[in-house]
Amino acid sequence: MILCGFALFCLLAGAFKRLPVYDLFVEGAREGLKTAAGILPSLLVMLGMVKALEESGLWAALCDLAAPVAEKAGVPPVLLPFMLMRPLSGSAALAMLQDIMAVHGPDSREALMAGVMMGSSETVFYTCTVYLAAAGVKKSRHTVPCALLACLAGYAGAVLFCP
Amino acid sequence: MLQVLVGVLLGGAMLFGIVTGRGERVFSGLMEGAKGAVETALSLMGSFGIFCGLMNILSHSGAVEKLNKWLKRPLQHLMGEVKEEAMAFVTMNLSANMLGLGNAATPAGLEAAKRLAEGDRAGNALCMFLVINASSVQLLPSTVVSLRASMGAADPGAVILPALAATLLSTVSGILLCKWMEKRT
Repeated sequence: MILCGFALFCLLAGAFKRLPVYDLFVEGAREGLKTAAGILPSLLVMLGMVKALEESGLWAALCDLAAPVAEKAGVPPVLLPFMLMRPLSGSAALAMLQDIMAVHGPDSREALMAGVMMGSSETVFYTCTVYLAAAGVKKSRHTVPCALLACLAGYAGAVLFCP
Repeated sequence: MLQVLVGVLLGGAMLFGIVTGRGERVFSGLMEGAKGAVETALSLMGSFGIFCGLMNILSHSGAVEKLNKWLKRPLQHLMGEVKEEAMAFVTMNLSANMLGLGNAATPAGLEAAKRLAEGDRAGNALCMFLVINASSVQLLPSTVVSLRASMGAADPGAVILPALAATLLSTVSGILLCKWMEKRT
């Protein structure tokens, strides 16, 4: 419903401004395909890594270690590696999200919560590094801690809003 | 950092696998994951392409300019005295980010960061800008919705409202924390 309404809104906005709606649609789709193709190499390595970790048994061992803490906070333990990876790498997080959906089903609570976490956070370290480097800033003060705590607040929101 | 982490995790998986006699399975897992990534990326391309197409229509119909206008005053309030030119890049970056137009957001954000820096120190305005930016302001998580659609979710859009609420929570928390820390660092 929301999605269809959104699509209709976009089309109407374009038609209202008398834009070449079809051409813009195709042009945007082309950019989207380029983006999706662009992340493929890193997605390939990251998903390979996730599967290798699962097969080795190291994954389960690490998850078991952290499970009691996670369960107390209302977070399914399978989400922990994803939550740790999210601020570091977008493609690694996407690979893990895909894996969570494949294992637990895309409609499971785990997949929904992870999706909300993904949608409400950024690659904090990457963003901060790139922007601070571009600005030539060495003393970043409270930027990174605040950004990480904001990310954590987003996670808490995901737990709160995905009963 | 990512270099080290991937090295340690992947190396750890191989070592752990070999020690516990599961070396073969670890390697076939690596291969299987790569295969899955290609399948995911291919099916993601379809739904993600549609989203980017719709977003392109929206951004050409003046959505970015509208958001710029709305954001300007609250941002001036949060970031204090900022030069007009720098503010234009800040609002452009945040508007593009809200609409999920990453390609348009980054160049504007880099320009904004350059103009907000005070020598090698991040001033209050730059800290605030980066915290808002890194707390995620995207209104519609198109990648997640696309991935859900490509994985066959019953309702791919089920994440939209909770994600919007969580995004709001994270951005507001980031802003409050940043304001609180301004006087302490």
